[in-house]
Amino acid sequence: MADVAKKQGGFGAWLFDPKRRGALLVTPAIVVLFVMNIFPLMWSFGLSFFNYKASSLKVPTFRGLSNYERVLSDERVWERFQTTALIVGSSVLMQLVIGFLLALMFAKVFPMRRIVLMLVLTPMMLSFVSVGVFFKLFYEPTFGIVSYVINFFTEDHFVLLGSPGGAIAGIVIADAWMWSPFVMLLVLAGLVSVPKYLYEAAEIDRASKWRTFRTITFPYIKSLLLLAVLFRTIETFKLFDIVYIITEGGPGSSTETIAVYLYRTAFQFFKTSQSSALAYIVLFIVIVLTNLYLYAVNQRAEEID
Amino acid sequence: MARKYREIGKAGWGYTAITTIVGFIYFSPVFWIILTAFKTRRDALAVPPKLFFTPTLDNFMSVFYRTSITTGNSQATDMGLYFFNSIFIAFTSVGLAIILGTLAAYAFSRFPLKGNDTYLFIILTTRMMPPIVVIIPIFLMFRLTGLAGSYWGIMLLYTAFNIPFSVWLIKSFFDELNPEIEDAARMDGSSERRVFFGFCIPQILAGLAATFVFGLILTWNEFLFALLLTGVETRTVPVAMARTLGGEVGVDYGLLAAIVTLFLIPIFFVTFLLQNQLLRGVTFGTVKK
Amino acid sequence: MIKRNILSGLMGASVLAAGLGGAPAFAGDITITMAAPDWPPTRFMKEYFDQNYTSPDGHTTTLDMDFIPWPSFYERVAASLTSGEQKYQMIVTDSQWLGAFVEGGYYMDLTDRIKADPELSAILKDLHPALVSAYSTYPHKTRAQLEELGDAPADGVHYYGFPQFPDTYVTYYRQDIFCHEGEMAAFQAKYDTNLPCSYEDWQDTDWTKWGQVGEFFQREAGEMLAGETLSDDFYGIAYQAGKGYDFSTMQVNGFVWQQGGDIWDETVKGAQAEGVVNSDVAVAAFDEYLSMLKYMPPVNQTGQMDIFVIQDLFMQGKVGAIIDWVGLGEPVLDESASTVHDKSAFGPAPGSRQADGSIDRTGNIGGQPFVLTTWNSDEVVNEALNVVKWWLSAETQIEAVANGGQSGLRSVMAKSEYNGLRPWNRAHVEMLDWQKDVWHIPEFFELLTQQQEEFDKAITGQISAKEALDAVAKFQQDLLEDGGYIE
Repeated sequence: MADVAKKQGGFGAWLFDPKRRGALLVTPAIVVLFVMNIFPLMWSFGLSFFNYKASSLKVPTFRGLSNYERVLSDERVWERFQTTALIVGSSVLMQLVIGFLLALMFAKVFPMRRIVLMLVLTPMMLSFVSVGVFFKLFYEPTFGIVSYVINFFTEDHFVLLGSPGGAIAGIVIADAWMWSPFVMLLVLAGLVSVPKYLYEAAEIDRASKWRTFRTITFPYIKSLLLLAVLFRTIETFKLFDIVYIITEGGPGSSTETIAVYLYRTAFQFFKTSQSSALAYIVLFIVIVLTNLYLYAVNQRAEEID
Repeated sequence: MARKYREIGKAGWGYTAITTIVGFIYFSPVFWIILTAFKTRRDALAVPPKLFFTPTLDNFMSVFYRTSITTGNSQATDMGLYFFNSIFIAFTSVGLAIILGTLAAYAFSRFPLKGNDTYLFIILTTRMMPPIVVIIPIFLMFRLTGLAGSYWGIMLLYTAFNIPFSVWLIKSFFDELNPEIEDAARMDGSSERRVFFGFCIPQILAGLAATFVFGLILTWNEFLFALLLTGVETRTVPVAMARTLGGEVGVDYGLLAAIVTLFLIPIFFVTFLLQNQLLRGVTFGTVKK
Repeated sequence: MIKRNILSGLMGASVLAAGLGGAPAFAGDITITMAAPDWPPTRFMKEYFDQNYTSPDGHTTTLDMDFIPWPSFYERVAASLTSGEQKYQMIVTDSQWLGAFVEGGYYMDLTDRIKADPELSAILKDLHPALVSAYSTYPHKTRAQLEELGDAPADGVHYYGFPQFPDTYVTYYRQDIFCHEGEMAAFQAKYDTNLPCSYEDWQDTDWTKWGQVGEFFQREAGEMLAGETLSDDFYGIAYQAGKGYDFSTMQVNGFVWQQGGDIWDETVKGAQAEGVVNSDVAVAAFDEYLSMLKYMPPVNQTGQMDIFVIQDLFMQGKVGAIIDWVGLGEPVLDESASTVHDKSAFGPAPGSRQADGSIDRTGNIGGQPFVLTTWNSDEVVNEALNVVKWWLSAETQIEAVANGGQSGLRSVMAKSEYNGLRPWNRAHVEMLDWQKDVWHIPEFFELLTQQQEEFDKAITGQISAKEALDAVAKFQQDLLEDGGYIE
């Protein structure tokens, strides 16, 4: 068959040979990804071994691993990684708790559910910039509504962003508010996938609510929760705009995340090569997290099957 | 085979009342933003904060026309163009990503390649990395190819960012379908094209809709690439929004709120229309690998 | 077949891409695309250009301003320049960026053009020397160095920019409370000196009195202010103390210079950072700056009290006096934005009292010059310089000032009507004479960011003034040694 087709149709038939159908269908997507993502990635990998500055006319020279050495021996980088971990950890935890509670709430069918659900989903659709700006205004000690309310209960002015801990809380609250609905969607998906007959069986056994939750509901949402943790961790790792707008990384450097620092290195200092090296270290961490993520997804798939 | 959409309980209007209260508390920051869109600067910064005030439409006017406070002259702001750009760029690139993603997903699901999982992993990795990792080389690449400032550049970029997610999600929908039906159709003499368009696609339309909403939410508010890679004619709303963040005054809260409110409408509407599919999409996409 | 289709498809795409890029221009038509921050001084330039400009060389010239939001202006311009898209013929730029973009080969050296053109030379001579020093020279020359070299254009100096909007910081104050008789008497009784009410009073106001004003007017809700009961807490003073961009460096530099200290001085060969930046004088000056924060609105504790925050606090009637840029004055007079639009007056910013009793007001210049880029044809360059001459002609400048701009031309500032055009003009002219500028070298952003971070730690009370300046000095010394600025 194939030979005949080759003789008759030449290249076209060769290309559309059923043997190559899979490859042919995948090619357009891979090409776009290659041009826009993979190629730039390799480029920046190359750059990370030179001393290139995008703002300078000087011809870059090869520097080997010295950019990596510089980045890894820079105290400031480690400090920023710690800050990032703290913000990611607390924000994801908060998203999980809120997202979970919201999901429990919306797991039931009730009148106007569609509309009420939209109220909760809207924060995800706002831009980071506007969330940052308005939460900063809410926290402002003179004009802010949050400060205004809390000032009823305190003697001094409530200045949330005045201390490192408060500033981190301010960022975490804004980020968690925005993305808890995302966790909610995932958990909700888990909740609705629990087969109904299991609950009916539990009811017949007169199992307590807690026991029902622990033995029936939880196993079904366990991996989805883990998945939510990993997906949100990876996303929160990139957190930039909210931090940049609410605190600019302050007070001092206490909320400066790795994403903010990477941005400064690349676009304010134009240390192109050094920022590429740092970016690769970040990417390495993200790939490790991605593997964990995939592991979690596979676990989930096995459980269902 | 496809899992049924199941609920774990039913509740009445009393429950609606409770959830509505919780929903409104959660929604209140958004509500405050929308309220601010109707306030003058003095009202927006009033102490104590004002819940009741005389609403003004000035902010919405100045989204499209700005009056110079010095000369009093009015100028169009091009915001109409930026809204068009945002909608055009987001819808086109998410649409493109879904088309390319569907083709690839179909292949990954039905005609596995050697090293199928490796390809899938590499594709997913590109979605997982922080955008700043690639922004430097993309920036340099755009500089060499002249893509900077063109519709093509930013659309291809957004397409690339949406492909991984689309491939994974859509593949899981294909995996849910029963291949026996397809094989039966092939036996009956249906062409590959007919199997794909006539049998597979109609069954996963809901999933495609969910993918579309996800892609749209992730693309709609993108700022960094838009700021650096769009030109005067291709600028998107999130970039133009930044003009309200400082100039002759600090943040123009009313104007920002007005832009945010207007910019929320299209995506809110699309999400509302496709809400059930969104829930379905999440279930499918995560239940199966 | 398929190959050809792919090829023609590609060609189609590139034709389409070219089509999206814009239509070809006709001969004689010149379009000057200018990167400009989106605010009234540049908006006015565009408006007035469209109404008023005719090319002396007979071109049909379009000034196509790309208005970019202020907060992302630097990033956008930097991206455009380094990406090589060569989009802009002229650029409004902060003076600090000169080094980075001259070294990058983007900003055009205008020295020879100025020397060959008597009109441009005349403009340069007429410009205030503080502005020439800050806005035009790279490598940076101080005003004293320029004066030593003689009339502009001087030999050995390279000129780049012309003022688009020269800015200085001045005092904004509430006339209704500073000129309230009861308050004035109470102030006199408490501090044995007068509460500054008139412009002349402000000319005699030093930091000590500024602090007293702060202490005096710090009132809680329920207390009286100028005969009225306060519904909300009130504060006497505020100046910038924010971590963003340069929102504390600008004010701190003033304190340091006035008291005889210095920042790292790039205009002197072999100048050191360590021992200068963290000298005892500098530490004392920074300490004085920090000591007055306690009289300022509570936002000072966050390190986010930037030039816009204090402007808002002033406009909403929460603070009695602020030190802020002239460029932010216009909204204060705008009824829809400001509760104090009819009660505000302006004076020179306070300074440090010297041994002889005079006050040193040395400050850090703000505002922006505009420059030409390097990739334009002679025809475009000549026309761009025509635009420069048009903008810096007396008539245009007066019109700009009347509409909220500022002029840097001494002949224009000397006109009798100048001070009356806007309420802050007198203070601006007086302050202009005191201006110096921060670094111009390409590494300025690294110097600035690290310094802002350390200042922010001190402002939010995490470390002392000495610790902050020690850290700044050490960082600068290392960086400048690496960069070959210090041997």
